[in-house]
Amino acid sequence: MAKNITTWSGTVLGLHKTPRSFLPMKSFGSLLLLAGIGIEGDRHATGEAFHSDRPEEGRQITLFEEETIEALLRDHNIKLKPEDHRRNITTRDVPLNHLVGKRFKVGDAVLEATRLSTPCRHIEQITGLELFNQLTNRSGLNAKIIVGGEIFVGDTIKLV
Amino acid sequence: MRSKIHSVTTQIKSITEDLNNVKIFTLSDPEGWPLPNFKPGAHLDVYLQSGLIRQYSLCGDHKNVSQYKIAVQKEKNGRGGSNEMHSLKEGMILPVSLPRDHFPLAKASRHIFIAGGIGITPFLSMLPELIREKVDWELHVCAKSETEIACHSLLKSYEKNINFFKHLSNNETRLSMNSVISKISCDEHLYCCGPASMINDAVKTGISLGDRLHFEKFGFDDDLNDAAYQIILKKSGRVIQVPKGQTMLGALRIADIKVPASCEGGICLECKTRFFEGSPIHRDLAMQPDDRSRFLTPCVSSCASESIELDL
Repeated sequence: MAKNITTWSGTVLGLHKTPRSFLPMKSFGSLLLLAGIGIEGDRHATGEAFHSDRPEEGRQITLFEEETIEALLRDHNIKLKPEDHRRNITTRDVPLNHLVGKRFKVGDAVLEATRLSTPCRHIEQITGLELFNQLTNRSGLNAKIIVGGEIFVGDTIKLV
Repeated sequence: MRSKIHSVTTQIKSITEDLNNVKIFTLSDPEGWPLPNFKPGAHLDVYLQSGLIRQYSLCGDHKNVSQYKIAVQKEKNGRGGSNEMHSLKEGMILPVSLPRDHFPLAKASRHIFIAGGIGITPFLSMLPELIREKVDWELHVCAKSETEIACHSLLKSYEKNINFFKHLSNNETRLSMNSVISKISCDEHLYCCGPASMINDAVKTGISLGDRLHFEKFGFDDDLNDAAYQIILKKSGRVIQVPKGQTMLGALRIADIKVPASCEGGICLECKTRFFEGSPIHRDLAMQPDDRSRFLTPCVSSCASESIELDL
């Protein structure tokens, strides 16, 4: 029987937020995570996100793999920048699709993955890039914040 | 009114009055966050409190995303949008759409612009880009008189340029479309924005330019010469006559058929309606090409066949 051994440890490559729907995401060196709420100053925390008319406890913070950015460029010649995918944390070496239902640490904060993010025409509308189909099954991860605190670019991501 | 989260929230930072009933609005994010990018020639849909949606070209430099500038001329006999815009005050919140890029700059060695009245606005976002990129341009501004040139204050910095030409109909410097178009070489593009009569003249005179002629029309095209036709309403079986000179939307309204419509200029697609039989003449500026085989916009579209069947 296979043992449940974690063999991965990832890194925070980028942190982004925006206060309202449609506005560009800005890059930050750190973000303040508020347990059970969201990121201080981010649209998911203030109810000003595009999807805030369908509130969802599990969408307090979102993550996206840098490996997907690389694959879009390599396989489809789509140049997606970290601020374009509109998720809050850009990760490296983190198997986001395998984390649903699990708790993991980002720096000292603890997140619980609730569901996979799904591709969204809203991103196409904002970026002008046709990437809906290309983001199928690799559109990132939604999570809620179990333990808040300040997280930083370069923080380690690992299972609790 | 469009919900806050489904629009770009802007605040009116300043309103300056220009000549000829034009007000220039400077919009920015209420907290100074950068606004979404736009390309030269883009426009915004403005969502007014009354429910009207109106389109205004962005007339600032696209490199400055801390603010949007739009210019609005008050139309005495307009459809209400410009009057409502002119009643707005500094500090008010004004929801707008993402910038829409229906009138982009093409790749060309030289760009020739012809602006009629308030039609100068899209070119005001194109000129800074061309000057920065050192691409040749030529601007023809047409008005009845000197004082009726729209956006005087925004044009000031270009007026001394040797490529800037004023055409005033009160002093016999009226634009000759033919003299401008005949000098356009094969790697140059012509852009025209203004009233329907000016666009129709450019289209007729510049037919040889093919896809090197770009135009953006504003206001209602009163040159409707389409033949009369019938609308057949599939759901009710009613037949409505559309006489020559009448819009499809107008005929539906007279028959008391309620079709939601807002811009009435073929841009917002609020009135987009499915059709089944018939040959529509599409005049919208926004529908995806694929959609045109199934939908039409009754506010501007017409019909080339004797009748058209709508999903109403």
